[in-house]
Amino acid sequence: MGPDLARYGVRVVALSKDSVQAAAAHRQRDGLTLGLLADPELKVIRQYGVEHHKAVEFSTGSFTLFGMPLALLPSFKTMAIPTSLLVDEQGVIRWVDQTDDYRLRSSEARVLEAVAAAFDPVG
Amino acid sequence: MTRPDLALATLSLLLVTATWVNYFRRVPSGNVPARPVGSIAAQGAGLVLAALALVVAGFPPGVAVPVLAGSAALFAALFLWLLTQRATPVGDLRVAVGDRVLAFTAPRDTGAAFHTDELLGKRTLLKFFRGSW
Repeated sequence: MGPDLARYGVRVVALSKDSVQAAAAHRQRDGLTLGLLADPELKVIRQYGVEHHKAVEFSTGSFTLFGMPLALLPSFKTMAIPTSLLVDEQGVIRWVDQTDDYRLRSSEARVLEAVAAAFDPVG
Repeated sequence: MTRPDLALATLSLLLVTATWVNYFRRVPSGNVPARPVGSIAAQGAGLVLAALALVVAGFPPGVAVPVLAGSAALFAALFLWLLTQRATPVGDLRVAVGDRVLAFTAPRDTGAAFHTDELLGKRTLLKFFRGSW
C-alpha cells in the first residue's frame, strides 16, 4: 500500500501499546518502513477513546513457525481498538474508520478510496 | 487391522489443525472472512468426530485415542472461544471528521520523541493498532 499512499503524499504513523523496545523489535522482525509510536501507558489510546479493556492477546511464549508469528497461550491485555484517522496538512481529521470486530481491519481498498476522496495526487 | 476409533481421532485432529492453519495464515494479510462459517462448521465437525472416537474406543480407551481426540477438542474449543472475543467496544472515540487531531507526545520506536505538531503541513494516516505479537 506504501506506493499508492505515496502518490497522494500520505505517510503512515502507527501507534500501539507496545513499548519502545517491542515496537523496535516489531519493525525489525517485519521489515516495517512506517513510523511506529509507543504508548505503553495507554495515554494517547485513552485520550482518543480507543481503549479496548481485556482484549485477547497472544504473546505469552511467542515463537515463529514457517515465518508466521505464533504464541502458545492467550492472555488478556488492554490495548487499542484498530482505528484509522486520515489527517490533512492542517491537522484536521478527514476520515475515520474503526472496526467493531478486531479481526477485520480497514481494507487497503477502503483506505485508498478515502485518501482519493480527501486529497488530490501530488506532483 | 484398522481401528475405527483411532481413525476417527486422527481425522478429527487433522480437520481441526487444517482449519486452524487455513484460517490463521490469512490473518497477517488481514484477509479473514467476516463470517467464518466454514471454519466454525469444520471445528464443530472436529469436536463431533473427537467425541465419536472416544465413544467407539469404549472403556478403557487406551492412550492414543484420548490424546488425539483430546487435542483436537481442545484446539477446536479454543478456536470457537477466540471467535466469541472478537467484538471491540466502539463508541468512545473522542474525535470525529472535521476535528483537529488531539495533541500528544509519544516516543518513536527509535526512542526519539514524536509530537503531533510534526503532522502540520503533511498528510498522515494515523493508525491505532493492537500491537505486535
